[in-house]
Amino acid sequence: MDWRTASERELALRLDDVAVRYRVPHERVASLKELAIRRLQRRVQFSDFWALREISFTARRGEVIGIVGKNGAGKSTLLKVIARVLRPTNGRVRIAGAVAPLLEFGAGFHPELTGRENVFLNGALLGFTRAQMREKYERIVEFAELGEFMDAPLRTYSSGMVARLGFAIATDIVPEILILDEVLAVGDAMFQRKSFERILKFRAAGATILLVSHNLDAVKSLCERALWLEHGRILADGPAATVVDHYQFGDSAIQRAPGMLAPEQRWGTRRVEITDVRIKNYNGDAQTIFATGDALILKVDYRAHQPTAGLTFGMAIHRHDGMHITGPNTSFAGLTLPTLDGCGTVTFSIAHLPLLEGLYHISVSAHATDASEMYDYHDRAYPLRVVNTDACRERYGIISVRGRWSHTPREIE
Amino acid sequence: MNQVSDFYDSAHRPSLMLEELRAVWRYRDLLAQLIARNLTVRYKRSILGFAWTMLNPLLMMTILTLVFSNVFRVTLEHYAVYVLSALVLWNFFAQATSAAMSELAWGSGLFQRIYMPRAIFVLAAIGTNLVNLLLAMIPLAVIMLATGVPFRPALLFLPVPIGLTALFALGIGLVLAVLAVSFADIVDIYQVALTAWLYLTPIIYPPEIVPAQWRGLFALNPLYGLLELFRQPIYAGVLPAFDLIVAMSALAFGVVAFGWWFFARNVDGLAYRI
Repeated sequence: MDWRTASERELALRLDDVAVRYRVPHERVASLKELAIRRLQRRVQFSDFWALREISFTARRGEVIGIVGKNGAGKSTLLKVIARVLRPTNGRVRIAGAVAPLLEFGAGFHPELTGRENVFLNGALLGFTRAQMREKYERIVEFAELGEFMDAPLRTYSSGMVARLGFAIATDIVPEILILDEVLAVGDAMFQRKSFERILKFRAAGATILLVSHNLDAVKSLCERALWLEHGRILADGPAATVVDHYQFGDSAIQRAPGMLAPEQRWGTRRVEITDVRIKNYNGDAQTIFATGDALILKVDYRAHQPTAGLTFGMAIHRHDGMHITGPNTSFAGLTLPTLDGCGTVTFSIAHLPLLEGLYHISVSAHATDASEMYDYHDRAYPLRVVNTDACRERYGIISVRGRWSHTPREIE
Repeated sequence: MNQVSDFYDSAHRPSLMLEELRAVWRYRDLLAQLIARNLTVRYKRSILGFAWTMLNPLLMMTILTLVFSNVFRVTLEHYAVYVLSALVLWNFFAQATSAAMSELAWGSGLFQRIYMPRAIFVLAAIGTNLVNLLLAMIPLAVIMLATGVPFRPALLFLPVPIGLTALFALGIGLVLAVLAVSFADIVDIYQVALTAWLYLTPIIYPPEIVPAQWRGLFALNPLYGLLELFRQPIYAGVLPAFDLIVAMSALAFGVVAFGWWFFARNVDGLAYRI
C-alpha cells in the first residue's frame, strides 16, 4: 500500500522518530543452563542500549546518501531497519520500492557448489525466482569475468573471484533502493573501478543509494548528501562534503564568512573591519586543500570606517591541536602602510607552503602598529587542509624545510 | 521483481503468522534452491552419496535384528521389517528437527542483513529430510520383498502418516530452531532427549514387552501414534484405526499451528541479538 501523500511522490523512504533498543544482558546468557541458574537466583539483569534514537529523515528517488560515523554509532542498525530486517522499537519506517542490500563478501555462498549453482542459490536468497535468474545468468557471468570457472566448485575460487561473483549477482539490474555497507573495497583495483562505475550508473539511472563507508573520499565523491551518526542520533544531515568535513575535523573545518563567526572567534573595535578573507591557489582560485609545497595566496579585504594611520595587518597559522606555527605581519616584513580610508585588499603570498599533512587554521588581524588598539581579529577562523602528495613525501614533524640531500663518497687512501 | 513487497510500513503490522506464510509462498523458489543445495552437497561430499541415505537405516536394522533376535530373543515375525519401517520414520523426525536448528543458525547470518522469510530455513530442513525419507523407503521395500512381507493396498495410505509426521516435525522444528539461536546448548540437550525418546518409543521392541499396567503411557507419546499409522500398513498390511488417524491429525495440526505461532512471535527478536 502506497503510504505517500501527493506531495511525497518523489520519496523512496521516510523514517519518523525511529528508535531501536537492544536489551543487553549484563552478562551474556548463552545457554539454557545458565539462564535456568540465573533465573533461580533472580539475577538476569538487562540494561537498555539505544542503538538508534530520534532518527527522522527522508530520501528522494535517485538520492545518494552517505552515512558516516564511528564504529558503534548505529550505522549498521540503521541499514537493518531500512532493509526491514529489524523492526524499530519506536517510530515508523516507510519504504517505497524494493530494497536490494549487497551481502557481505561471500555470505550465502556454499564452497562445495559450483559457481553456477551458487549464482542460482544466491539469487534466490536475494528474492529472485529461478526464471529471473536464468534470464540474468549470462550477464552476471560476463560482468564477473568468470566464464570458464562457472562449473568449478566455489572452494577453488580466489577470494577476489568470490567477491566479483557476489557483486555481479546483487547488482545485475538497477535496484530501486540499494544498500552498500563497506562493500566497495572488494576485489582488485580493476574490479573496484568496475564496481564503482556500476554504482555511478545506478545513480544516473535514478536508484536511491545508501552508502556506509569508512572511505570518506568515496562518500564525498559518490554522495551528494551525507548523514553523520553519533551515539545513535543524527548529528548532521547535509551536503556530503560539509558533513564529512564536520565528521573528520569537527566544527572547526567549516569555512565561514566573517559575518558568521562566533563572538569568541572575533574581537576588536572594528575601526578597521576585515570584511572578507579568501585563500587561493596560484591560479587565483579559492581553495582550502593544499599540498605541501604549493603556492598559497591569502587575500584580506578590509574597510576602514575612518582614516587610520599606523596600521598593521597580520596572519597566523595554528595546527588543529592549537600549536602556533607562525605569525607574520606587515610590520615585521617592513611594509609601512599609508593612512587608509575606505576599502582595500591586503595580500600575503606564500610561494611554497612548508606545512606537512594535517588540518590548520588561519587567523587574520588588523591592529595598530604600536599595539594600542586591536581593530579586528579573526581567531583561527579559516580552515586550511594540507595533504600529502608525491611531490613531498615527508611525514615527520610539522614542516618541510625544503632542504637538499647530497652524498660525497670519500676515497680510501 | 518479487523481492520485497514494494511498499513497507513498519507501523502496519498484519498478522505475523499470515505475513510469514505469504512471504514463504513468494520465496518458494528459494525453498526449492535450499533443498536442492542440501541434497547436492550431501551427494558431493561422500563417495556413496545418496546410497548412504539408504544404507544407514539398513545397517542399523541389521545390527538391531541380530541383537534383538539372538541376544534378547525377541520372537517377532518379520522383525526386520518391523524395526526398519519405524526406524526410517524415526530417522526422518530426528534428522529433520535437528537440521531445523542448524539451518536457521546458518540462515541467521543472512536474514540479519537482508530480508527473507525465516521460516524458509526450517521448511528446507523438513523438505530435505522428506526426500531422504522417500529414498530410505527403497531399501525398506527391498527388505519386504526379501523377507516375504506382502505388499497390501493399505500401503496407499502411507502419504497420510508421512504428511502428518512432517507437520509434527515442522512444529517441533520451528520451536527448537528459534530457541537454539539464543541458547546454543539446546542442540546438545535435544540430542540426549532424542536418544531417550528413541528408547521410550516402541520402535525396536514391541510394546508387549512392557508390563500391561504401564502400556497406557505410550498413548502420551505423540510419536508412537504417528509410527503406528506408518507401520501398520507396511508391517500388518492393514489400515490403522480411524480414531487414531483423527487423534494424530489433530495433534499434528495443533503442533504445527503452535510452532508457527511461536516462531512468528519470536523470530523478529532474533535480529535484536548482537
